[in-house]
Parts: sequence; structure tokens; C-alpha cells
Amino acid sequence: MNGPLAPSVMAGRPLLDIADVSVTFGNTRVLKNVSFQIMPGEIVGIAGESGSGKSTICRAAMGLLPSTAEVTGEVCFDDQALQGLGEAEWMKLRGRDMAMIFQNPASHLNPLQKVGKQIAQPMIRHLGLSGSEARERAVKLLEDVGIREPAMRAKSYPHELSGGMKQRVMIAAAISCAPRLLIADEPTTALDVTVQAKILELLKDLNRQRGLAIALISHDLGVLADICSRIIVMRHGQIVEQGEAGQIIDAPQHPYTRLLVDSQPGRKQFKAGWAQTEETPLLQVEGLRVLFPAKRDIVDIFRNRKAMPFAALDGVDLAVSAGETVGIVGESGSGKSTLARTIIRQNRAASGTVKLGGRPIERLAGRELLELRRRVQMVFQNPYDSLNPRMTALETIAEPIWRHGMADRREALNQASKLLDMVELPAALGERKPRQLSGGQCQRVGIARALALQPQVLIADEITSALDVTTQAQILELLARLRRERALTLIYISHDLSVVSSFCQRVYVFRSGRIVEQGAAAKVLTNPQEAYTQELVASLHRLPGHVVERENIER
Amino acid sequence: MQIVLRRIIQLIFVLAGICIVTFLLVHMVPGDPARVIAGDRASPETIEAIRQRFGLDRPLWQQFVTYAGNLFAGDIGQSMRYKRPVVALIGQYIWPTLFLTGYVICLAVPPSVALAIASARRPGSLADQLIRCIGIAGMAIPVFWLGIMMSRFFGVGLGWFPVSGYGKTFADHLHHLFLPALSTAIWMVPVLVQSLRAALIEKAAADFVVAARAQGAGEREIFWRTVLPNAMLPTLNLFGVLVAFLIGGTIIVETVYAVPGLGTLMVNSLLARDYQVVQGLTLMFAVTTVAVTFVVDLVSAAIDPRARL
Repeated sequence: MNGPLAPSVMAGRPLLDIADVSVTFGNTRVLKNVSFQIMPGEIVGIAGESGSGKSTICRAAMGLLPSTAEVTGEVCFDDQALQGLGEAEWMKLRGRDMAMIFQNPASHLNPLQKVGKQIAQPMIRHLGLSGSEARERAVKLLEDVGIREPAMRAKSYPHELSGGMKQRVMIAAAISCAPRLLIADEPTTALDVTVQAKILELLKDLNRQRGLAIALISHDLGVLADICSRIIVMRHGQIVEQGEAGQIIDAPQHPYTRLLVDSQPGRKQFKAGWAQTEETPLLQVEGLRVLFPAKRDIVDIFRNRKAMPFAALDGVDLAVSAGETVGIVGESGSGKSTLARTIIRQNRAASGTVKLGGRPIERLAGRELLELRRRVQMVFQNPYDSLNPRMTALETIAEPIWRHGMADRREALNQASKLLDMVELPAALGERKPRQLSGGQCQRVGIARALALQPQVLIADEITSALDVTTQAQILELLARLRRERALTLIYISHDLSVVSSFCQRVYVFRSGRIVEQGAAAKVLTNPQEAYTQELVASLHRLPGHVVERENIER
Repeated sequence: MQIVLRRIIQLIFVLAGICIVTFLLVHMVPGDPARVIAGDRASPETIEAIRQRFGLDRPLWQQFVTYAGNLFAGDIGQSMRYKRPVVALIGQYIWPTLFLTGYVICLAVPPSVALAIASARRPGSLADQLIRCIGIAGMAIPVFWLGIMMSRFFGVGLGWFPVSGYGKTFADHLHHLFLPALSTAIWMVPVLVQSLRAALIEKAAADFVVAARAQGAGEREIFWRTVLPNAMLPTLNLFGVLVAFLIGGTIIVETVYAVPGLGTLMVNSLLARDYQVVQGLTLMFAVTTVAVTFVVDLVSAAIDPRARL
């Protein structure tokens, strides 16, 4: 891996010069006096959490803000002032000299057009190529961005490609007219970690080979530290700090930057919960197979074609002792959530068994099933979707208590307010509905609801992946406290190996419905045995020390 | 191509289902089907004769085999009132209805698209508000009332258009059916406008539109190449439902303007308790709906690659 470009490139005129830019929507000022520069051939990182204005500033630079936005200040691209450009002038600039890629490649491609055609369009527009010439070049570009069988793939539609491939297509379209600046707005956030590493590698190559300047927007300081020469940290529409990447990471000046650095997953080792005492594990999963039937229409039945069921879980064995925190790691589609859903009996096992306290859960019914539901609780990924929008926080937390007959409604509300306090939410928020709460607050309500029944096992399914890093760190802090105080057995599901390794005692690594590696968390992370785990670990962007080391080597 | 074949095979099963349901329809009428067919004042002998003639005394499955066999031979029964095969009757009455349906489509689609675009261009503008207000009025006015008013005003009063009939030549048809087509179109346009307008506004804010803009596409190109095709899909499905409904649902407007179409035939047969015709028409309307849906699915698949799965 190559380090950031040497400072010598920084001499000369800036490619993009943003001076004192403010943006107002109605009465809300979303950007306040933002100034920074991007030099030719430089990779600049813009860090910040959702709502910090990092996307807004880049869209302002490309004139892509909605007409309701009021922009003041000066934006210069290559010494050309961009204020007051007409539609026609913008069209000449966009896609030609400056290009942009986005967070969610799936929604940014036109679903009705072949990807080759979509890549060809900017070239037809800006370079005056004929349709067939442009399509030929599109195939070449697809090859350049690392897509195999580019000629065939050019004829694919977006829905036929994986997320990583779609992002490569977006990049191919963006670089088709050899722009000098690429604005990348969270280009890897929606992708799996191993894919993320490859896309970042591609961006780095483009920067090196073509001298393409890149503005990389990300909430992930680890990613930025890895490939940017400079980092700009934004909060509440303002730049709080900017400087060389190494300096920002190692010697952050602003308290917020420090918070951001400290919140990076893996920075903090959480204290382990309960010492293991019991001999038999609390939860045992043996040879678990879960099948999802394939769709079969009437023609298939007619031809007597067998439906090939898809095995979401294929022979999974694992055990969790009381008081232990076990991490389940894997990429999307690896079967992590299926496991969680099978443990709470939302999915049925095709074969194998799940035992809680030595008893198989498959045949539980009636009162015993209810007891299982009480003993095993789950917290979900999306904090908003998993709460009833019509119920207040207090009602949400109280509902399971009275539904399970553990108290009457009034007493349940009393207990709920204690739980609210336990998850560190002010009592005033109890009367609010989910949409009046922030993501982190909603997730705290979700945790309180799960704990309301005093479960033995708590399953946390990607509970922080929809949250900002600082919020994520706070939620992990809370969970760590709760598991200490309540002797909780925790199954922590995540795609983020660094969170899992800092938070869990043992880790299972999942891939395509199987466990590929297991063991003590620290060991799996520092000394992975299987090729897949090694790849996962290699794609981690960890902060500590890395940047400094590399700078030293280069100088 | 594979997908077309697949859909056709699925279609056959749907059609078989329709046949069974329409067959059972007569048997689901409370009481003795023979008595129902014969009418109120028939003598016991007539009822018995009908029972014999239609094979109603045989077991149900045998009756169905005969019915299905007749269907394959293109025989869906005999009209008591007209004393002619139902197929021939439908063949005669279907043309005005088809012509009217086509006429309505021609009158309704171009203004719908134009108005939806005008409306979606600046949501909340005066033009948008006006189009939506008038549209709601258009939907709220019952078709029969509008029909009566227009035939009084333009037909009887001003004498511009005939108030009934179908005419003989193509030009005649256009002239005769103008008012019925217009009154149906006035109801249909706002429905289409509403659907297309919503889809246009939604797609104009889609992520891929921002991406196209970031690649330097002009607004005009974005609209015609990206927004409109994407917005058409939901409206296309609605359009299919409306057309299927029109073929079977022109009853009111045909009655008001005395157009000799399927709607008129349906009403007359119902009033005369000509059940074989009613059964035949029911079968035909069901088959038409399935066929129109099939065509719409094919067109959708031609536009949208995701629909080809």
C-alpha cells in the first residue's frame, strides 16, 4: 500500500478553492464560513458525522444543491469562479473536469439502462464521441476499474451487478472524461469491508496513475487516515480542524477531533463481563441448518423441476456460556442475522438444534415458548424501524412488561422509567415518540425494551451500524456497563471486526452460512488463521500508529 | 423470449381457472339453474326440457366436460332472446365497444401526459393547482350525468353530434362516438394525471437524477431520458387496469348514448334474464382483463429490465 502523496505536490495553485462558503436552507444555516483548498493530484479527506455538512459542501462545489439553498462565499475551480454559472456552463464542467461518486451506487444508477450505455453518455456529451466509439471506450473503462469480462458486463443492467461492481461502474462513468477532481461522497459506506478495501485501493491507483485529485468524504477516520494526505474535520456545518492526516490522528487539537479519534472502533478495549463459572453452556447450537426455499412458479412445477433451497446456515455449531459476550462477524449474506432469528424462533431449523439451558427450543409451545421469548431478547439494526412510531419511549419499554404479565400497566410504566434512567436517557424523553428522538436515543430505547423482561441472553444484531461513530462508542460503553451490572449473556452480531474484537471475549467468523474461524477475540484479530479472516483483518482501517509509521518510512 | 413463453404457460392456467369459475357461476345462483334459465313463468314441462337440453340432470363433472369441450369448439352457448349463438352475438356487438375504447385511449392519453408534465414541472405552482382542482372535479362528476348533459347540450341543443347510434363508415363512427368517448375520457384523464404526476415528482428527486446531473447531463435530457421512462412504469400498470375496465365497463356510457356495444348487450341480456349471454360475456370480460394485463406486463418488461425476471 502506498502512502499519501508527498507535500511537494502541494505547491502551486489550488485546483478547488472554497473560500468562506455558507449555505442556508430557509432559516437554517447548514454551512458556516467553510474555507479549504484542494491541490491538483491530492487526496483530501473530509470527516464528520451525519449532519455535519460534509456532503453539502461538496454538492455546493458542484452546483448540485437544490434551488432552495442559498449559497454565499466563493468557490473557484482551476481559477474559474463558479458562482452564478449558468446551466450550460455547469453542464460543461460537471462530468468533464469535476466528477462525483455517491454513497449508494444502487440508487444512483438508472435502473432502465445498460451500464455500458450509462458510462458512455458523459463521453458522448463532453468528448463528442459517437455512440459506438463511446461504448467501446466504456468497455475499456470497465476493465480499468477492475471488472472482469467487461464486454459482457457492459451489457448488464444495474440490478444484475453486486454493490461493489455498481460502485466500480459509477467510478468508470466518473473518470470517463478524465476529470481533474473526483468528489467521492462516502463511496464505500454501503459496501462490505472487503469490497470497501478494494474500492479504496482503486481510488488510490487512479490518483497515482492519472494524477486525479480526490475529495473523499467519510465518517470513518480510519479510511481517511489510510489514503488521504490531508484531513478536514467538520461538525455542525463548520470546519473544526484541518491539517496533515498524521497530525490530525496523532495530535488532534480540537476536542471534537479527539472525541472522533477516540470513538473509532477498536480504540478502546472494554472490560470483560462475568467470569465463566457454569460447566454447561447456556446456549448451544448444534449442526444448525436453515433453508430458505427457492421460488418456484407454475412452469417449474409443470416441468417437475426441483426447487433448490438456499442454505442460509449450513451446519453451524456454537456455544455460549452464561455471562459471556460472543461476537458473530461476517459480511452481508453470511447468515449472521439468520442465526439470531433462529435462536428467537423466527426461523425454523431444517436440521440441527438450538438449546437454551440444555433444552431444545424447536418444540416449545404455549407457556414455554413465552418463557423462551422472555429469556432471549433482541435489539435490532435500524433503531427507527424497530420501534412503533405511535408509541412513546416509555410505552414502548413498558409494553413487554405488562404483556408478559410481570406487572400491571401502571407498575410497568414505573419500571419503564427506571429502565430509561438505566440506559442514561433523561426522563423528559420518555414522553417522546421515535421520530422526535435521535438514532442513538432510539437505540437506547430499544435496549431498554429488550432489558425490560430481564432476559438471560441479549442478541444485538448490528445495533450500531446505523449510528455515527461517536454515538456507536457511547452505545458500546452503555452495553459494557449493563453486562457488568446485570451479568448479561451477550451475542453481538456485527460486520465490524474491530468493534467485535474490542468488545467480545470470543468471536465466530461467518461466511456463506458456515463458521470459518473461531476463538478468543484478540487472537482472531491479531493472528487470523483462515484466508478469509486474514482478508477481513487486512481490510480493516485501523488508526493507531499506522500513519506515523508510514510517514517515517517515506521521509 | 423465454419469459414470454413462461408467461403464456402461466396464462393458460389462469384461463383454465376462469373457465371453471364462470361455469360454476350458473350453478351458484340460488335455486334450480334450469328454473333460472327458463324464467319465472315457465311451465314445469319447459323447465324439464331445459334441464334435458342443457344436460343439467347429469353429474356436475360431466356437465363441465361438455362445457369445456364446447368452449374449445368456440361454442359458449345460445342466446334465448336473440336465438343465436352467443359467440356470434359478441362478434357483432364487440366492434362499437372496441372502437369506443380505442377512441377513449386516443382522447385521454396525450392530454394526460401533457398535463402531468405541466403539473409536475413546478409542484404547487398555479398551473399545478389548477390542473389538480379541475382534475378532481372531472373525477367527481358521474359519467352518466356528464353524458346526459353533453348529449343535451352538444347533441340536442347545438346539433353538432348525434345523440345515439354508431354509424356506418369510419368517419361516422368518429362522429357518433365522440361524445361518449369524451365523457369517459374526462373521467379517465385526471386518474392518469394524478398517477403520472406523483411518479414524475418522485423520480425527479431520485438519486440517479442527481448522478446524471453530476455527469453533466442537461435538464431536458435528464427529463426525457431518465425521469419520464422511470415514471411511466407505475402509470402503465394503472393504464392497463383502466383499459381492461373500459372494455367491460362502458355499460353506463353505452346505455346513455345507445351505442350498440357489449355494455348495451349486457344490460339487455340481464334484464331479459338471458343467462347464457351473461355467462358468455362474463367469460369474455375476464379473458380480456387477463389478456390486457398480459400485454401490459410485456410492455413493462420491454421498458424495465427488472420486470424480466
